[in-house]
Amino acid sequence: MISVNGLKKKFKLTKDHKKGITEAQQDPREEKDYFHSVRDVHFHCEQGEVLGLLGPNGAGKTTTLRMLSTALKPDEGSIEVGGVDLVKKPLAGRKAIGFLSGSTGLYGRLTAKENVEYFAKLHGMKGAELKQRCDELFTLLDMHSFLDKRADNLSTGMKQKTNIARAVVHRPKVVILDEPTTGLDIMTTQTVINFIKGLKEQGTPVVFSTHHLDEVALLCDRVTVIDQGLTCFDGTLAAFKEQGHSEELNQAFMNILEGHRHV
Amino acid sequence: MFEVFLKEIKELLRDRKTLMFIVALPLLIFPVIFAVVGYMMAMANLEAEQEVHKVYIIGAEAAPEFTESVRYHKNFELVTANYANKNDIIQAIQNEELDVGIVIEAKAQPSTREQTTWQVIYNDSARINYLFRYIEELKEQYQSKVQTLSFNALGVTKESEMEFLISPIKLEKVDTADARESWGEKIGVLLPYLLIPIVLTGAVYPAIDLGAGEKERGTLETLLLTPISRTNIVLGKFLTVLSASLATASLSILSMGLWLFVARTFVNVSEFTVALSHITFVELLAMLSLLIPLAAMFSSIVLSISIYARTFKEAQNYMGPLSMLVFIPVMISVMPNMELTYKTAFIPVTNVALAIKELLKGTSEIGILAVIVGSSILLAVGLLAFCVRWFNQEKVLFR
Repeated sequence: MISVNGLKKKFKLTKDHKKGITEAQQDPREEKDYFHSVRDVHFHCEQGEVLGLLGPNGAGKTTTLRMLSTALKPDEGSIEVGGVDLVKKPLAGRKAIGFLSGSTGLYGRLTAKENVEYFAKLHGMKGAELKQRCDELFTLLDMHSFLDKRADNLSTGMKQKTNIARAVVHRPKVVILDEPTTGLDIMTTQTVINFIKGLKEQGTPVVFSTHHLDEVALLCDRVTVIDQGLTCFDGTLAAFKEQGHSEELNQAFMNILEGHRHV
Repeated sequence: MFEVFLKEIKELLRDRKTLMFIVALPLLIFPVIFAVVGYMMAMANLEAEQEVHKVYIIGAEAAPEFTESVRYHKNFELVTANYANKNDIIQAIQNEELDVGIVIEAKAQPSTREQTTWQVIYNDSARINYLFRYIEELKEQYQSKVQTLSFNALGVTKESEMEFLISPIKLEKVDTADARESWGEKIGVLLPYLLIPIVLTGAVYPAIDLGAGEKERGTLETLLLTPISRTNIVLGKFLTVLSASLATASLSILSMGLWLFVARTFVNVSEFTVALSHITFVELLAMLSLLIPLAAMFSSIVLSISIYARTFKEAQNYMGPLSMLVFIPVMISVMPNMELTYKTAFIPVTNVALAIKELLKGTSEIGILAVIVGSSILLAVGLLAFCVRWFNQEKVLFR
């Protein structure tokens, strides 16, 4: 399981950014020289659950996921994955996490196979274990036809399959996905959705941010809504609809945001 | 760290642009550039030597023998015209009716025994021409005759006496430098200009690809999420950039040696090659050991810049001024009276340029070389430490 509590992260504002701010545009998260991107985010996701992280653009979702993936260090708060404190032991935490985003790239001059094997080696896998795991993923994701093609020459769908294999080659305890279907065609989107369903069946917790509420309806057990760096909702999908006063997810989302901003 | 290094090397070797900078540039492009420039200069010289210039002399009657020597010179055509003064000649040269005009003072006849000034008017800009040299040679011949006549008229007939009167004291230069030292001094000025920027060039492209390139392609973030410390990631990248830089420098030296060997069959450079054949293997190794910390310094700097940049293009913009900056310490090394001492051995880059010259001349001191290598290693370690620290900062990685 993954548990996030009291997460906070601020960034120093650049001179250019400060120059561009007018009083009318003032964001409540801007304070003197700092921008408080994440002010208090909390949620948790149990084994076999899929959690959808929702929020408008600039709400702090990507910063939150970057902290979860250990790319950024939180200023305050705790992140625990399978009993490992990610803030205190980021290196150990990285072994427990698989991360994939819509903008994740591949090494273009390496083949699909080399890309996956490289990340397996970086996770300390070698020999028979590495080969067995890679073969397993290549079959699961139907990658054999393009394994020896350089990533630069792969289609978007092939690239995303390679990216998925890369993200989970080390058998992570938790998978984090940052807008994994943004910009993808229907076929590739389906590959990602099937992949998430597969993880859920295996009992792996998945946290993914998205703007597509149809995907949330299809996949999620829990929903967390972030607005202006704060968690304004965290609960089951049923509770989300209830608090949002609508069976329509889009409407429920809008109502929750509106309610939060009026408080 | 080595996993990162091996993967980066594999990717670099599959990149045509990188291979172009590391292999093709030193092996092919430099010799081609030298050959083309050499050929064009030779052609320009040949043309200049064969060119016939139109010349007009004002006051020709004052020096008829000189005028005759001009008339029969293969590169001059004495024109018949009626230019009255210097301004007329300048106008004629501007109108391209004339290439050169000579104004001889009327009192220039030897019998007057007064020193006179002759004006040579021509356009000395832009291209190679030997006009002034030809006229100077003819004047020297004429002057010699005038001197002999004048001495004879004064009763001085012995050549030795004439020489004494013209120049009673003659200075003779006895050069203690042997051929190697002499050639080393000349090449030692040029070689750092070529070698040091090449060490930088070899590092720049791979560094951009491994830093800003990874950011732009979206692969850096995935690399940061692996259970490898950021220090090991940056060290793996640093080793790759360093290897590329050293490979470029080594190939450049090899290429120069190879083309010098080829040139020997066409051009007489025996004195030069004999002089340089005295360079020992140990001295070559010393040159390489000077370049290694230098390459490490450059690799750390360009990698730090590249990591800071958000995109490939931004990194390229930062690298441009750096390429110019590296020439400054090399230029300092060729300033008059700049010598390799225990003080100058601490000036980064300049010290390596000076040391290469000393090694080529065969006058290097092991103590000073050790100081240079030591100080360069210390600086390289410092810059690498900065690069590692830089790579560990969120504000740099996620600008």
